[in-house]
Amino acid sequence: MVRNNFATMAAIEIKNLIKSFGPVKAVDGVSFSVEAGSVTGYLGPNGAGKTTTLRCLLGLVTPDSGEALVNGERYVTLPRPVTEVGAVLEATSFHPGRTARNHLRILCTAAGLPDARADEALEQVGLGDAAGKRVLGFSLGMRQRLALASALLGRPRVYILDEPANGLDPAGIEWLRGFLRHLAHDEGAAVLVSSHVLSEVEQTVDNVVIIAKGRLVRQGSLAELTGGGTGSVRVRSAQAADLAPALEAAGGTVERADDGLLRVRGLDAEAIGQVALDRRIVLTEVTQERSDLQKVFLELTEGR
Amino acid sequence: MSLLAGLVKAELRKLFTTRLWWVMLVVALLFVGVGLGVLIAFAGVDQNGAAVPGLDTAQWTELAWASGSSAGIFVMILGVVLMTSEFRYQTITGTFLVTPRRGLVIIAKLVAGLIVGALFALAVLVLQAVTVIPAVMLGGGEFSLSGARVPQISIGILATLALYALFGIGLGALVRNQVAGVVAAIAWTYVIESIFTAIPALHVVGKWLPGGAAQALMSIDVNTGLGQPEWLPAWAGALVLVAWGLLFAGVATATTVRRDIT
Repeated sequence: MVRNNFATMAAIEIKNLIKSFGPVKAVDGVSFSVEAGSVTGYLGPNGAGKTTTLRCLLGLVTPDSGEALVNGERYVTLPRPVTEVGAVLEATSFHPGRTARNHLRILCTAAGLPDARADEALEQVGLGDAAGKRVLGFSLGMRQRLALASALLGRPRVYILDEPANGLDPAGIEWLRGFLRHLAHDEGAAVLVSSHVLSEVEQTVDNVVIIAKGRLVRQGSLAELTGGGTGSVRVRSAQAADLAPALEAAGGTVERADDGLLRVRGLDAEAIGQVALDRRIVLTEVTQERSDLQKVFLELTEGR
Repeated sequence: MSLLAGLVKAELRKLFTTRLWWVMLVVALLFVGVGLGVLIAFAGVDQNGAAVPGLDTAQWTELAWASGSSAGIFVMILGVVLMTSEFRYQTITGTFLVTPRRGLVIIAKLVAGLIVGALFALAVLVLQAVTVIPAVMLGGGEFSLSGARVPQISIGILATLALYALFGIGLGALVRNQVAGVVAAIAWTYVIESIFTAIPALHVVGKWLPGGAAQALMSIDVNTGLGQPEWLPAWAGALVLVAWGLLFAGVATATTVRRDIT
């Protein structure tokens, strides 16, 4: 069988995907694609249809209509799927009585990979010391790492990860961010990672796809979604009228609101404080506003 | 073909990397052992016309050698667990991610079930050999491996245990819930089958059930006081067993291949 031309083909392509469970339309006409060498965040509140989309993509759920393709093919027709796609699903779980190494070795056996890949993958996710331990005693974070190890077994070029940060501690999340960036930017893999917590993926992703109630609400690069801007700072002062021109003189962009509230861009809190000190102006509030992406995310998903 | 061989090996590894298999093996051997002990203790004892033949008779050897088929329930439970634990622990997701051709996974599981059932049968036959042979010799009889239909009964046990593992896998795929599957297996073998195969008047139905067909395959027609059993001929018993096996294999495939894994 002649495969399509990889160079012109998206690693992951979802076209007008529709899936209902009974009367509930879990995914309602979603389309997007993920290119090699990039991390795409698939964002939405819980129950938005993220997991269903990913399960359709992985051949676990059959869509009502539409297409979900990996490397131009349906997952179920890939000759050796684990060598092309590594997947971590929220519900992917383990037999508690089995050791981490044995869990991976079973997958290796079924996939026709050498047993040695099990230990290599465990080392890669930092579970080398726990290889011989039964999963029973694993924390949620360790289980997530083990799930990630299972995705690495076949050295795939496409990664599909459903809420991989769940249960990881802050250090684990930091490690995961670095790991995903490494896979995409250094090894040229295509990474699709879902999350309902924007801050988990905000620093990792190149592109964002936002879904709510089964419908796509926005997609684009991170820069497109945030308008290229940095975060703004809320400043409150009784002498706002004096402060505003001073901040503008210092290089900030100031937006005036009611009762002494200013929204300042282009200056950080320290610089604003310095300006206020120089002019002997009393500040009653200095607050770093949530990033614009967070606002976009909430606006797009709230009330839907 | 090598793909399927790898999948069968993976299924066997699933079973042998958890503790259940040897717990079940120990329990099965104890169960068969107790049955043999009772047969030895009551050999030649006549109770209200329900007689167990004497140790030195060919009939006793037949009865004792066939007792291993009672381990069927344990391999059936093992089969149920092999299938349902995939759903209980959601490992089915990982299994189908590696092998999205689900029909192949089911075939591999069924083959693995047959192999495990046959291994259990071999263990049971060894246990029988080390208890029945001394018992017969001490009882003044003569044991010959080719006599008293020992070969036929041995093949019957091998086929029965192998197929009961397969039945368990089919049942497990059908019910998916582990506890429900185990309860159904016990209810099937101990209530439904035992009623229809223990009472000769019900053999009209019982001979078509897997348990009755297994008895037919082993040609156990010793009258233990409830009347002469009316089994199918041995070859027909074998056919009925295979038919049940195909039915359960079909059930396992049909219930698993299309269903959404959420």
